[in-house]
Amino acid sequence: MILSSFSRSGGKPFLSYKTIVITGMCAVLGLGLSGCFSKEKQFKNTLRLATPAKIKGLDPAHSDDMYSGIEVSRAYEGLLQYHYLKRPYELEANLAESMPTISKDGKTYTFKIRKGVLFQDDPCFKTTEGKGRELNASDFVYSWKRLADPKTVSTGWWILDGKLVGLNAWRDEASKSGAADYTQDVEGLRALDAYTLQLKLVSPSAQILYNIAQQFAFAVPHEAVEFYGKELLNHAVGTGPFQLVEFNGASKVIWKKNPTFRQQLYPSEGASGDREAGLLVNAGQPIPFVDGIVTTVFEESQPAWLNFLAQKLDASAIPKDNFNQAISESKGLVEELKAKGIVLHKAPTLDVTHQTFNMADPVVGRNKYLRQALSMSIDRAQIIELFHNGRGISAQTPIPPGVSGYDEAYKNPYVQYDVAKAKELLVKAGFPGGKGLPELEYSTMADTTSRQMSDALAKSFDVLGVKLKVNSYSWPEFQRNIREKKGQIWGMAWGADYPDAENFLQLLYSKNSSPGPNDANYSNAEFDRLYEKSLTLMESPARTILYKKMAQLIVEDCPWIFEMHRLSFGLTQPWLKNYKPHDFDHARAKYYRLSK
Amino acid sequence: MKSRSLLGDAWTRLKRDRFAIFAFTVVFAYTFIALSAKLGWIATPWDQSVGAAYAPPSFHSLQTVFGTDIFGRSVFYKVIHGTRIAMSVGLVSALISVPIGIFFGAIAGYFGGRTDDLVVWFYTTLSSIPNIMLLIAITFVLGKGMAAIYFALGITAWVGLARVIRGEFIKHKTRDYVVAATSLGASHFSRIFKHILPNVSHFVIINFSIQFVSAIKSEVILSFLGLGVQGQPSWGVMIDDAKLELSRGVWWQLAGATTAMFAIVLALNLLGDSLRDALDPKIK
Repeated sequence: MILSSFSRSGGKPFLSYKTIVITGMCAVLGLGLSGCFSKEKQFKNTLRLATPAKIKGLDPAHSDDMYSGIEVSRAYEGLLQYHYLKRPYELEANLAESMPTISKDGKTYTFKIRKGVLFQDDPCFKTTEGKGRELNASDFVYSWKRLADPKTVSTGWWILDGKLVGLNAWRDEASKSGAADYTQDVEGLRALDAYTLQLKLVSPSAQILYNIAQQFAFAVPHEAVEFYGKELLNHAVGTGPFQLVEFNGASKVIWKKNPTFRQQLYPSEGASGDREAGLLVNAGQPIPFVDGIVTTVFEESQPAWLNFLAQKLDASAIPKDNFNQAISESKGLVEELKAKGIVLHKAPTLDVTHQTFNMADPVVGRNKYLRQALSMSIDRAQIIELFHNGRGISAQTPIPPGVSGYDEAYKNPYVQYDVAKAKELLVKAGFPGGKGLPELEYSTMADTTSRQMSDALAKSFDVLGVKLKVNSYSWPEFQRNIREKKGQIWGMAWGADYPDAENFLQLLYSKNSSPGPNDANYSNAEFDRLYEKSLTLMESPARTILYKKMAQLIVEDCPWIFEMHRLSFGLTQPWLKNYKPHDFDHARAKYYRLSK
Repeated sequence: MKSRSLLGDAWTRLKRDRFAIFAFTVVFAYTFIALSAKLGWIATPWDQSVGAAYAPPSFHSLQTVFGTDIFGRSVFYKVIHGTRIAMSVGLVSALISVPIGIFFGAIAGYFGGRTDDLVVWFYTTLSSIPNIMLLIAITFVLGKGMAAIYFALGITAWVGLARVIRGEFIKHKTRDYVVAATSLGASHFSRIFKHILPNVSHFVIINFSIQFVSAIKSEVILSFLGLGVQGQPSWGVMIDDAKLELSRGVWWQLAGATTAMFAIVLALNLLGDSLRDALDPKIK
């Protein structure tokens, strides 16, 4: 998704920040909450986390924001999940027995469903007097049709939209007739038997598995939908490790361990360094380790932070304004927190920030050397330090660390800060010392940080003799200008929807030009050819080579001034074990262990 | 006893008021600083780094007495150039708004009737729009930059003066000296500008100083909102920066800008008050 340009102190930039905040929490705050004392006492071994936004509800079909997604993932599960420890991110089977078998043409996926998985006990299972029944393949057929049902008004329909044969037709039929017919067969989505699910894709896609791993595609039993109706938002009936005790989306959500949860084991292999970090101590042991989770909503970052310091939360992000209180100048934890045993976790975020050149512009769009020169005039280390508290690594290509195609050793020649070289390139571009070059235009937002960032950019360009005029806009105006291909240079950021470099490379595919996500309006026939080829390939070394080739083309053409991949900083209390930052695994609390 | 002119008399009385002399000195000093900065005599160049980012105030050199900002630029120099911007905005916008206020106030008060109705309707309508909204709307239309700020502040700030001048003209137009001028065949133009206006000119001078202050404050607010000065140091921009810096303990930009602003606003207010006392013929 697009992140609001640069001010990264509002809007989605917080992807990284919020991901971690989630792991904050509360135990027994203040009055008013005393009612839940008795419930919390039942399980001493309770994880106390915080969330920075109200929880809209617990229906997977409506859990389009990350915070609801996280709560939903405690009770519901999908066919696939992300491996908790491995990096780059990797999918593994969850409710499926194993990864699917895929036909030669890449269009038919067959999943074997795990046997003996029970839904949680709930009054909605009337025929069994509240005992949860076994999960089977038709639950997925039902849940995904429900996602497609226009009456569900799901915000997650896009994950399947246009991807499964016949499902869109089924949806059209349902909106025409006014009522969806769940018994009607859909060719692309069939339960062959109780434990076999078959998908037929409209065209091969390497991304469909990531879509299936998203919370929208989790299994919801039809009994619960029929029993609760719209009230399903306030209930949770899944197969997951935690069972809902109390739901109050505006203040707190309480979970306890699901007694009928199948045996699931802590991963026994991880990324390099995980063993040393103590993340494999519990390898092969059954999860979850905690008896319960209490998630408290803190809409303001300050109270969450203070609760963390008072040891009432097991994990926390670091609010920007408290950064100096927590992190020393050497980017480590300050002594005071270190003495308390608090642990600092740094992790790269799957995103990239960059300055975009409008390739449709006659000045910057037609002069490769000019773009390269400007790119080399920027001291990225200084920008990262000044504007991100040093929380970032300089980006060499659009591909961030954590996905295949990222090459740690690779250094982009035009990302190096070298004024002399930049001046040479400017001569090559035909503008020695900036002479003959009209004043360039920079579009930005009217907030403080954006203004300071524009100042920094103008200063860098000024050293080359290039003048930059700054125009600040409101966010909607800014976006409109870009859609209309106006302006010459502007700042942008992109956060991954799923861990695949394709999600970043599509930003430069010519058919995605404005108003699509290719806001640079970059067009390169060779790049397009490689991109189209990569779409048909599954994750493989061959595809990674394609990704790297595409990145090379971008480096040379320089439609972006690469800036950085941001780092997220999170803190945990000394007793919280098995904690590892993760961009996508919303269910990761099941791996956490408390050792007080 | 030798009679003194109005201004001579006012000056004599102003000299006796110590506050007024202090205020006058401050305003004079600011004007001098602003001019010197404009001419490049002092505080140049302001946009070069003189130290590390966010270096606290130190007395090693004049440049660092107020510390440095995010890019290591001298906050002291920025304050001085902020003075230049503030003084020029105050002066130019007051020079735009005062004639407009005099003109509309004079014709409304002097002619009365339809003209009066029209002018009163016009400025009532204008002043019913919240001032800051109007300023924002105008800067959106005119684009950003100094010219737009001069103009926006100039054409929105004349209502107060117009009201006062109108009232005075209504009072004066029936006075004997005006009647006498009329009977001598003086034209409307001559009666308005040669006869009545000099007699109400002390209001203009007082209002000028008040508008100077409000223009300075408005510029700071506009710049704080990101609608003001672009690419130049302004007190408003510095305060806007400080918004984020305070939590990391960087207080000197805020202190520099607000102290500079405080002194000039206070001085102009004191001066306005003293001028009123000195110029008002009734408190002789």
